[in-house]
Amino acid sequence: MRRSPEPVFWSLFSAGGVVLALIAPALILATGFLVPAERVEFDRLSAILTQPLARIAVVGLAFLTFVHAAHRLRHTLVDVGLRAYGGPIATVSYLAALALTAWAALVAFG
Amino acid sequence: MTSGATTTQTIGFEIARYLPGEDRAPTLRHYDVPYRPEWVVLDALNYLKDEVDGTLSFRWSCRMGVCGSCGAMVNGVPRLMCAAFLRDYLPGPIRVEPLANFPIERDLVIVLDDFMQKLRAVKPWIIPGDRPPPADAEYRQTPAQLADFKQYSMCINCLLCYSACPVYQHEEEFLGPAVLALAQRYDHDSRDRGNSQRHELTWSDEGIWDCTFVGECSAVCPKHVDPAGAIQQAKVESTMDWYRSVLWPFGRR
Amino acid sequence: MASPYPRRRSRRWFIERWAYQRFVLRELSGVVLAAYMVLLLLLVSSVHAGGQAFADHVTTLRSPLMIAVHVILVLFALLHTVTWFQAVPKGLPLRRGEEKVPPALMIGANYVAMAGATVIIVAALVA
Repeated sequence: MRRSPEPVFWSLFSAGGVVLALIAPALILATGFLVPAERVEFDRLSAILTQPLARIAVVGLAFLTFVHAAHRLRHTLVDVGLRAYGGPIATVSYLAALALTAWAALVAFG
Repeated sequence: MTSGATTTQTIGFEIARYLPGEDRAPTLRHYDVPYRPEWVVLDALNYLKDEVDGTLSFRWSCRMGVCGSCGAMVNGVPRLMCAAFLRDYLPGPIRVEPLANFPIERDLVIVLDDFMQKLRAVKPWIIPGDRPPPADAEYRQTPAQLADFKQYSMCINCLLCYSACPVYQHEEEFLGPAVLALAQRYDHDSRDRGNSQRHELTWSDEGIWDCTFVGECSAVCPKHVDPAGAIQQAKVESTMDWYRSVLWPFGRR
Repeated sequence: MASPYPRRRSRRWFIERWAYQRFVLRELSGVVLAAYMVLLLLLVSSVHAGGQAFADHVTTLRSPLMIAVHVILVLFALLHTVTWFQAVPKGLPLRRGEEKVPPALMIGANYVAMAGATVIIVAALVA
């Protein structure tokens, strides 16, 4: 049986979708509104983000978010009319997600 | 009867006409039909065929949402013409066109060949496998086992879901909503052992993985089959099977 | 024998019906969240760079443009959350015997989890 590789992408996309649905509004509320309102102190933020587990969580969240976005972007581009370029679009999308994740790792462990 | 209904004596129709060999493309033609609040679009078309133009061609049979043959685009949305009441389209005109995403045979009659071929391909029947049949020649099912697939067995092959599906519009190879929901119906039937025969097709790129969950198939389904949900469930099942086969490569189940 | 009129395709299908526009917006929400992830990583970067860099970053975040950007981000994030939770009972329907667990119950449980996560995140950050 010729197996489609889609289960791999779809499961990562789904994992990202679940995590983002649960925490993305809260994160945006915190970093987009509470931080500029100076309700979040530097010392506290720094203490959290230098924890090894927090660094790993940042990279994990970035990975799932970027793969989720790459998957959606890829399928939307195909659906709205670029079906003929489905292969290259998928390759570029997922590679971009991996590159952004590498950058996230540099940031998180910087 | 509301005052709006009593003052409307007739209701306008814009009906797509296409005669192969004569017309280069379908064109909309205007008709006026007496307005009756209890009429559906199919009644209006039968009136036109009987009283105005006998050449108007359309499929229909049961008039009660069971046969699945009178699907058409009503004001741009796939509907069963026997379930589309004139009173919901006041003051008109009502635009009636053949189901989208199919070739047009004539007027409102579409070509079904692609769907029929795909339907056969997923083997929509019970495959007993090599189990001996029960001694009393009767397969028993618990209510819970029946509930596992009953919803998908309600499909009447009316093809409204194919007309609502933009993926099918642009990817002719896509098996499509109804076929995938029917495959799920047999996959989930406790009497069936044909899963592996179907999955080769339904779990491929032309099967469930072409679907991007637009969801309009389920929105237009007159029998609440929910093909979009069926495909999502198949994605979950296919994904779990994939990880099982990778993490446990020494023979499956 | 005359041949049938071929099936038609629309290049503009995704703007022709509200249901399809909604679909494209839903899919774009995932891409928008990746853009937010970049902003979030820039914030993390400023924290690791020290107090002064963080203070500069906060000044940037306080500009009307950045506030407007985050308003749009929050709207897309909520669109993602709402549509994702709606899809959960479709992909993972639960049954107790013959009875289907009501989709509204499953969706509601997801919102409870989201509310819990929101409280934890805000409480962890705000002194």
